[in-house]
Amino acid sequence: MTAVLLIEDDDRIRLSLSMALEDEGYTAYTAATAEEGLAEQRRRPADTVLVDLMLPGMDGFECIRQLRRDTEVPIIVISARDDTHDIVAALEAGADDYVIKPVAVKELAARLRALRRRSRVAAAAATAPAATVLTFGDLQVSPDAGEVRLNGAPVAVTRTEFRLLCELAAHPGLVLSRQQLLQRVWGYEFGDERVVDVHVGRLRHKIETDNSKPRHLVTVRGLGYKLQP
Amino acid sequence: MRPIGLRARVSAAFAVGALLLSACVSLVSYELIRNTLFAERERTAVRAAYVDATVVNAGVAGPAPEVAEALRVLDTGADRYVLLHLNGEWYSRTAEPAAGSAVPAGLQEMLGRGEAGAQRIRRDSGPALVVGIPLSGSAAFYEIVSLRELDRTLQLLAVVLAAVAIMVAAGGAAVGWYVTRYALRPLTVVAEAARGVAAGDLATRLDPATEPDLAGLSHAFNDMADQLARRLERDRRFAADVSHELRSPLQTLEAAVSVVHRRKDSLDERSAAAVGLIAAEVSRFQNLVDDLLELARSDQPVHREPTGVAELARGVCTARGLPGSLVEVVPGTPGTWRVDRRRFEQTLANLIDNAIRYGGGPIAVRLGAAGGGRCFLEVDDEGPGVPEEHRPAIFSRFVRGPAANARGAKDGTGLGLSIVAGHAAAHDGRATVGDRPGGGARFRVELAGCVP
Repeated sequence: MTAVLLIEDDDRIRLSLSMALEDEGYTAYTAATAEEGLAEQRRRPADTVLVDLMLPGMDGFECIRQLRRDTEVPIIVISARDDTHDIVAALEAGADDYVIKPVAVKELAARLRALRRRSRVAAAAATAPAATVLTFGDLQVSPDAGEVRLNGAPVAVTRTEFRLLCELAAHPGLVLSRQQLLQRVWGYEFGDERVVDVHVGRLRHKIETDNSKPRHLVTVRGLGYKLQP
Repeated sequence: MRPIGLRARVSAAFAVGALLLSACVSLVSYELIRNTLFAERERTAVRAAYVDATVVNAGVAGPAPEVAEALRVLDTGADRYVLLHLNGEWYSRTAEPAAGSAVPAGLQEMLGRGEAGAQRIRRDSGPALVVGIPLSGSAAFYEIVSLRELDRTLQLLAVVLAAVAIMVAAGGAAVGWYVTRYALRPLTVVAEAARGVAAGDLATRLDPATEPDLAGLSHAFNDMADQLARRLERDRRFAADVSHELRSPLQTLEAAVSVVHRRKDSLDERSAAAVGLIAAEVSRFQNLVDDLLELARSDQPVHREPTGVAELARGVCTARGLPGSLVEVVPGTPGTWRVDRRRFEQTLANLIDNAIRYGGGPIAVRLGAAGGGRCFLEVDDEGPGVPEEHRPAIFSRFVRGPAANARGAKDGTGLGLSIVAGHAAAHDGRATVGDRPGGGARFRVELAGCVP
């Protein structure tokens, strides 16, 4: 059974959502504060973390950063704020996805399944032998080994970032639109393209020497992104 | 009538002022020069007349006066004419019968009394001066001096002075034009800054130090921009707060209803129906909250970025279970437009939802260029169309048409088209509705500044 940790300070939302998630077949762990959630995740790690941004004490952004420091657990932000600043800040802090309250339980379940699928692919890749290595100049991506190397040194990327990089690496020099990436990496039919932009930005921090002038992961204005040597 | 501009008025004032001043100076100097020249000429003429009179007097003093000889010896030149009145007879150097008629009667009387005198007269050949000097006995000596030369000089002077006055007036107008351009230059900076703020650049400020005379205006402008920025920020915060306050209870409702809904088979018929109602209303309430927030934020500046509109449009269609082939791109349309991606997407989504709800579903989504950097987006349907009298109101808030598919749950919020109009206005464009050739409605949204 898949376990989900729900970090949410509103008692009623916490109760109703955990009931609804259990109906969808998940085991729901809950926490009312970020500190409590971090302790809970250490004590009894869940497979996915749902976190609200407005929390008493430590806020959601900091909570995501601390979770990210220790683990690669998929994180979905569930927030009532639909401000671009908040969404981008949460994704930059390390969240994999962002949903806005009120989210339909079916929709949330679909996103959780998509995230789990991604994680499983990445986890399976990590244990498989290193068969293929895709090389882009000083950048090496091994989809099967789950490894990214820059100038020979391994680069730590999250699962979502890794999936995004693999998708782009599988089509060298080809432009992939944000919607295509959302479908192939996040598994959404149609979604918020800012999610792609922020993940690309985070990936650039890790694989580019100069973020403002990316060499490998380039933006094709109005069309999408492509990976090149 | 178009009001006369500040520059034209200032220039005209400069011109009138310069003209008045130069006209006064010209008039005064003309009078001074004229009087001086005339006085000078008169003095010379009188002096010459006295010399001549002495010569003639000597000539006619004897018992047998040789009048013709006495006049002949005078050296008079071309512009002087000599007359002698002796014993009731007029003598001159030429045999001119009516020579005496040139001398005014008043002057003759004066000389009759034994006084010398001078008077200006006008002859056929031009102005002249008559100098009369009484000689011994009853004889009188007259000299007529032509002033034509002097008159011509004065005429030329008048023309020159008038020309100078006109040139000075024109110069005044030119100075006025130049000075106002220089004086108004700081205002063009203000106008540019205001345009910047209107276009959404709220960080635009004026430096009061660059133009000390306009410091008041600069301060007022900066205060206005500050207040505007604060207000927009307050509105944004308010929308965010309201969104949070309304969305949190909606999340509880949504999750709780889904829990009950899942168990509706174990409920009795009435309870199940009630749960169905609650579920439908919760989703409608959600849409209403989303639309209200969108409307509250619609006057926020747009964030333009190059957007591949055709793909976005196809995505919006497929997300609604419609074929992506509905999207037609008019040949010659640029592939990427500079628009606010999110708002463009919502505009299209609302128009398509509107067509589904009231027009029996869209039959074409058209993207094209409208010239001058403008692009348009059209959504056609085959529904009943929008009657002429309803067209102005259809983009207002909470106006709904008769739903084509009369399922109450699909009823819209009545805000979709006002959001479309808001997004269009934010892109300096507009939303309109007309008839589709062949029946149905055609909604058209024009957006400005899409192509650089």
